[in-house]
Amino acid sequence: MQNTESIAPSTRPISLSLLLMMAVVIHLPLLLMKLPLKSYDANFHIFFASHYVHHWFDPWNAKWYAGFSQTTYPPLPQQWVALLSWILGLDMAYMAVQLVAILLLVVGVYRFSLLWVSPRAASIAALASVFLGSESFLVYSAGQLGTTTAAPIYLIGLPFLYEWVRYGNWKSFLKASVLLVAAAAAHHATLLFGSFLFAVPVLALTYFDRRNGERISISAFLGRSVAIAGVVCAGIAVVLLPFWIALIHNPVTQTPIPHPSRANYILNPIWGLNYFVVPYGALILALPFIFMRGALVARLRPLLIGFWVAFMVGLGGTTPVGHLLLGRAFGVLTMERFSYWATLLALPFVGLLAVELVDRFKLRAVIGLTTLAACTCALAVGWSTYRPADASSFKVDSVADWLNRDGHDQYRYITLGFGNKISRLAIMTNAGSVDGEWNSGRTLPELNLYGAGALTSSKYFGKPGLDALRAMLTHADNYGLKWVLVRDPYYDPLLSFAGWRQVDSLEDKTIAVWSKDGVPPAMPVNAPQMPPKWQGLMWGILPFGSSILAILVLLIPGKRERKYLEERHSITEVTPMQERMAS
Amino acid sequence: MKKGTMIALLLGVLTIVLVVAGTLWPGASAVVYAGQRTLLSSSSTPEAAVRNLGEEIRRQAWQEAYSNFANKAQFTESDFVHDMTGTYPGLLTYATLDKFDVLPLHATADDAQIRLKLYWATVVGTSITTRDLHIVKNGDHWEAEWPIVKQARVPPQVIPVNYLRWDVIYRGSGDDWGDQDVEAPHVRIVDMHPVERADGVIIMGELLNEDVVPAYVSVTATLMSKTQVPMATESSFDKISHLLLPKQVTPFLIKFPNRTLSDVGSVRMTPTSALVSASADPVIEIDNEHLNPSPAASLTGQLTNQSGRVVNVAHVLGTFYDKSGQLVWVADEYINTPLLSQIPVPFEIHIPEDLAGKVSSERAVIATFSIGGSQ
Repeated sequence: MQNTESIAPSTRPISLSLLLMMAVVIHLPLLLMKLPLKSYDANFHIFFASHYVHHWFDPWNAKWYAGFSQTTYPPLPQQWVALLSWILGLDMAYMAVQLVAILLLVVGVYRFSLLWVSPRAASIAALASVFLGSESFLVYSAGQLGTTTAAPIYLIGLPFLYEWVRYGNWKSFLKASVLLVAAAAAHHATLLFGSFLFAVPVLALTYFDRRNGERISISAFLGRSVAIAGVVCAGIAVVLLPFWIALIHNPVTQTPIPHPSRANYILNPIWGLNYFVVPYGALILALPFIFMRGALVARLRPLLIGFWVAFMVGLGGTTPVGHLLLGRAFGVLTMERFSYWATLLALPFVGLLAVELVDRFKLRAVIGLTTLAACTCALAVGWSTYRPADASSFKVDSVADWLNRDGHDQYRYITLGFGNKISRLAIMTNAGSVDGEWNSGRTLPELNLYGAGALTSSKYFGKPGLDALRAMLTHADNYGLKWVLVRDPYYDPLLSFAGWRQVDSLEDKTIAVWSKDGVPPAMPVNAPQMPPKWQGLMWGILPFGSSILAILVLLIPGKRERKYLEERHSITEVTPMQERMAS
Repeated sequence: MKKGTMIALLLGVLTIVLVVAGTLWPGASAVVYAGQRTLLSSSSTPEAAVRNLGEEIRRQAWQEAYSNFANKAQFTESDFVHDMTGTYPGLLTYATLDKFDVLPLHATADDAQIRLKLYWATVVGTSITTRDLHIVKNGDHWEAEWPIVKQARVPPQVIPVNYLRWDVIYRGSGDDWGDQDVEAPHVRIVDMHPVERADGVIIMGELLNEDVVPAYVSVTATLMSKTQVPMATESSFDKISHLLLPKQVTPFLIKFPNRTLSDVGSVRMTPTSALVSASADPVIEIDNEHLNPSPAASLTGQLTNQSGRVVNVAHVLGTFYDKSGQLVWVADEYINTPLLSQIPVPFEIHIPEDLAGKVSSERAVIATFSIGGSQ
């Protein structure tokens, strides 16, 4: 019997459930392998979450920097990790939250793309998000839970913003407001810069899109835009009030710390590979299409401009754009998140391109696109192994045990040569440290003056790093800093000449414990940065509450919204030829 | 041309222009990683050639630097790397070049003399090395002749060690000694002078181990206001020799930045000591000590390691006295080359110009660090 089914590609969109299943198939095994634990920041987020596990309503964390406030970082994904850790444990809770973020991205990209392109192209864009190099790079190499959680929430909220401004639908107003506030509770930089890169193109679209041949009136456009901006700003101001108070009282004035994402990718090709080739992958091949189609189709131009700005800033020091647009923030932010946002903004174009290629080349296009997507995803996932954040693999259990016994935790400690294992150690030990991995949270002058990151990696920051280390060791008595745990003999001469003695060794003598005589026990620091109780209560209730509210409002039926979307579909599948004919 | 095509073209050209601008004139953030090197870098002048060499050393691009030398036939790339970082592990082995100065000394149409001053970021502070380079013209560009310094090799030999050594048995966790433990050695501050300098108050003095056992010592000073309220507390950090054998004396210097002596009512000194295992080995002999007068007053001399063990880092502390034997100043220098057995290494400790006239005698103390065991 012969199979008479057509092998022509379907012209229907891929169903959302199939897209979500694809995301699960690709990412669940990687997350079950706990691959993100090898990334730069995953342990940092888990450390923050571990604090929320025990002190949900007290954001003052005494384990780093002799005490710092966790209100300096929006808490939403970390609080979800803390909550789920009661069932799954911290590590698996992190993986669970990360998986949800990946699934939300599929939904977010689909909904966002629907604003710009046909449902079929939008579904392919959402499929591409599963294989997106920048997403895998941020999840498995950078460990940026906040960024990868906030962006999808933002993307899910933006179509509601469109519907509110374009049609004045109050349900959409409510949903957009709550989702945008929840996104801010997940990550502050996404809020600040995402507003311009994502929301402004969408607002431009609402203005330029015609309904029955007519644009929205300027008064309605401005009124609705201002109304939702006001409500969202007020919501964010309240939900993240302790964050703003911390930021106003302690603005980030410390000397900027060099970061390779701000390097010139041509003069430093290895960083170009790391921050451009890996995150973009096969998307680089689509750049000419994005420029051409984005410029030729009028309604895609706002999206093109948003993409181009994010793309240029994401190039770091390769162009002067980042420095010109961001000013001092350029020295504080890392640029890979801009590349991430650029790739998200590029996905509707990718969907369009894929549809046209499949329509033209059929199975050959499907094979080619699948291969490119797989290679992009594989490179970004594999990058965490080829170029791991922390090349040395060692356990810190014995160090934590040592610190926790015989009253050693009455004093503070620092590590040298531990890389980003210091977060893992901080989770496991009761002792406090004067070091840490959250640079914006530190207030000790010894750490802020020199333009270096964590003390544990001092030597990699050259003179500034070593100056900071010497300054901290000089003032060891002031902070009750008695222990230095050394996994890199590079630092031995300094410790020896500065009056420290090796008193023990751990992990088969690969880790030396150095001590200083006469150091008084660590005293709690009553820093002015310590948030009062009411701020702790707000911090424990409002950001998390905003996410619960977002889930609830999304359950409100939205028949009219679907109608709006259907209406929109009739104007989204526009090729340059059609547009020319229409005009 | 259509509007859309214009926009695409404009964005494309703008992108290329901005990338080219960022690459030819990299911003501060890019310079941190790329150095002063740009695609326009060339060796069209003697200074540019030396600047490129400095950048290559900063990036530890040894092969690139070596390939650009005019006299590379006289030594291997390995010799050059050892000249820069040392054959034996020392301060410069793991140091990074923080910055460099290029100082033209002399130039003609075909050659030039340029001083390259290298500022190394070492774990104990900045270490400066200077090389005078002969630059020669080769076609349309200039090349440096590297003045290679090959480190001396120690011949195979047996050196008997018969210096004193003290071992300590501490109270173990299972020992029934109650709270009793070995007593801390008796140490005493024998001299102490607070002085005010441009950068704040400085406390200097000398500490004596008056016990018959070795002591691991440190000194902490607290400035008290005129109402006897503590103003600031600082410690001697590395401006002291922490290990004192019996009857040994070490100078110490404690800095209080941004403080004025007029605010200080008194100073509370707290010396601490702990009994430690120690050995008199390695013994470092100081030869040819000489006080050089102003300008550029300094104490110079040579260190000779009398032991067989390599001293990877040596720290020379100089104590300077006036005619009446009063302490005038304490200064120090880290030696950036390892001390090999019997091979003298020069040292030079600078004395502030305003104090140089008062100095009439000095005493030098050596602290050492050897990989696998510090002293």
